[in-house]
Amino acid sequence: MMAMVGKILYWKGCMSRLKMKSIADSTEALLGLLGVDYDTLGGEEGCCGSVLLRTGQYDAARSLAILNADRISSLGYSELVTSCPGCFKTMSSEYPMIIGRAPFRVMHISQFLYGRRAAMEGCLHPIRARVVYHDPCHLGRHMGVYDEPRALIRMVPGADLVEFKYNRSKALCCGAGGGVRSAFPEIAVEVARGITGAPLREAGASIIITSCPFCNYNLKEAGGAEVIDLPEFLLRSWRGS
Amino acid sequence: MNDEPRDPKSKEFSEWMGDQRRRLGIDRAVAAYTAAKEAALKRLPEMEEMRKEVRRIKEESISRMGELARQAMDSIADVKGTPYLAGDAAEARRIFCSIVGTGKLVVKSKSLTSEEIHLNGALEAAGNDVYETDLGEFIIQLRKEKPTHIINPSVHVPREEVAQTFSKLLGREVSSDIPSLVGVAREFLRDKFCKADVGITGANVVSAKTGTLFIIENEGNARFVSNAPPVHIAITGIEKVVPTLSDAFKVVQTLPPYATGVLISAYVSLVTGPSKTADIEKTIVYGAHGPKELHVVLLDNGRSEMAKDPILREALYCLRCGGCLYECPVYRIVGGSFGDNYFGGIGMVWSAFTRGDEAVAVAIDACTKCGRCKEVCPLEIDVPKMVERLKGKLVRKGHLSRKHAEIRENIERKGNPFGQSERRQ
Ligand code: SF4
Repeated sequence: MMAMVGKILYWKGCMSRLKMKSIADSTEALLGLLGVDYDTLGGEEGCCGSVLLRTGQYDAARSLAILNADRISSLGYSELVTSCPGCFKTMSSEYPMIIGRAPFRVMHISQFLYGRRAAMEGCLHPIRARVVYHDPCHLGRHMGVYDEPRALIRMVPGADLVEFKYNRSKALCCGAGGGVRSAFPEIAVEVARGITGAPLREAGASIIITSCPFCNYNLKEAGGAEVIDLPEFLLRSWRGS
Repeated sequence: MNDEPRDPKSKEFSEWMGDQRRRLGIDRAVAAYTAAKEAALKRLPEMEEMRKEVRRIKEESISRMGELARQAMDSIADVKGTPYLAGDAAEARRIFCSIVGTGKLVVKSKSLTSEEIHLNGALEAAGNDVYETDLGEFIIQLRKEKPTHIINPSVHVPREEVAQTFSKLLGREVSSDIPSLVGVAREFLRDKFCKADVGITGANVVSAKTGTLFIIENEGNARFVSNAPPVHIAITGIEKVVPTLSDAFKVVQTLPPYATGVLISAYVSLVTGPSKTADIEKTIVYGAHGPKELHVVLLDNGRSEMAKDPILREALYCLRCGGCLYECPVYRIVGGSFGDNYFGGIGMVWSAFTRGDEAVAVAIDACTKCGRCKEVCPLEIDVPKMVERLKGKLVRKGHLSRKHAEIRENIERKGNPFGQSERRQ
């Protein structure tokens, strides 16, 4: 097991692993192009427990947090990268409170890619489109990650990044979080229409880029726009297709 | 459990979402509010400091809530007002009924706290005529509906429907032009103000040291209500008491920009005891041009309980500006069905403590915990954190939706919330 020290664990998150597979697939393809040495846990990954914390099932979440932290640490990983802002927030800011220590370093994929951006220079082909970035609540407002995704989008030649009127800490919620999508799916999608409706028209973009599988799913449900995950967008640019 | 496919709450949510007329009312209000607030805050750069100061004042006040309430009562008694401490809603209603009696004409200005204790019903059952005089409340009262916003209770009723309601009241056709609608209310209520036996108001802030009630409003109705009738009864929560007059003034400056997007409301009435004069031989007589009697009911009704919880006590800092509601993505579409008297995320906490767990057990699952409310709150009250805390408490008491229980079972059995089998690679 010691051989794995220093190796990166790409933690897909349940949603990207099972429902929004193109997010995980394109992230893996991009990591491959960047020459990143990483592992995944495949079908053994499991759930981080975010949804349990959000729905008040604290005891179950606690057991899961302890289990996951032990499992990942005992496999020797000290650095974890995830596609899901929910996993990111839970594992980086809530696990330490639950288990009393930070078991490993957790990064959101946008932060990780930003750190490796030099390797993307010169590799990205133009995408001529007006795009808008949607700040996921768990990534932006809750964890303060606003700039890395935008900086990465700006690296793509031809992409004209515009902003929603309410962005960053004031960004509108997609409606999927907090267990609402499962409890009241019709509310979740109606909230998402509050983004894909007038705010999107005002921004004048044809593509919404986001960096959360829940936002992605829900904004797609609302319809009216192409929605794409950040690594998916970067991969498209890299491949020039 | 409480999450059968069509539980009453889901039905209420769907009705709201599908009701284009109510959605239109809220959309118009949100647009007007956000524009006005942005403009007001631009003109008030000092508000950044002020709201931090108010946060400190509230932190101190809530840590001394019981003591400050007692001090306020002593101060009110010193100026010949009559203070009461009501432990719960039933006790508060009893106090009101014993002061008001029966067969009286009662006028009221807006008070969420009075709605919290279902005051109107109690006074009417005791044989009194009760008129809400805040325009929004008046509309709601005539329509026999429930308020849907803490600052603008009739935010969901478009002008055309107000006209219908008023036409019915007067028995003649009323134009739906907004100024004439306001004119109708003015005409109709003026007479009530002058003839009323009792006026009932809330209070936005109370200064403990002087026993002064601060009543903030725009319409001028609270001035009438608190001044014209011979008896004025005010009701407010014990969490509204702050140590001094200058503390109270800071709260007064912070509320209006966030509540309605104005620099200051048209009227702030300061009431310290009943009206009095000593103009004849320096002999003090109570009851000059204003009320002869002032009664102040300080309501606990779950607030002391709230203060005991290290996380949920933050809800007591709430100034009730209502700003977070207009900014809440869920409130924007389900409006008044998102809570019970108190709305939105902050309203979940307030409704649970003042109306019981049942009032929020299902609705709380509509909160996405997105945290926009915290971002726009003048006091940066951490609403999502409180909602999660409250949700945890509710779950421990058995209020867990079937969907969320299934998610847990799936995770435990299959390692993912969807219950998919994946351990085959
Ligand atoms: S929680 Fe904050 S924004 Fe919401 S009503 Fe209270 S003071 Fe206003």
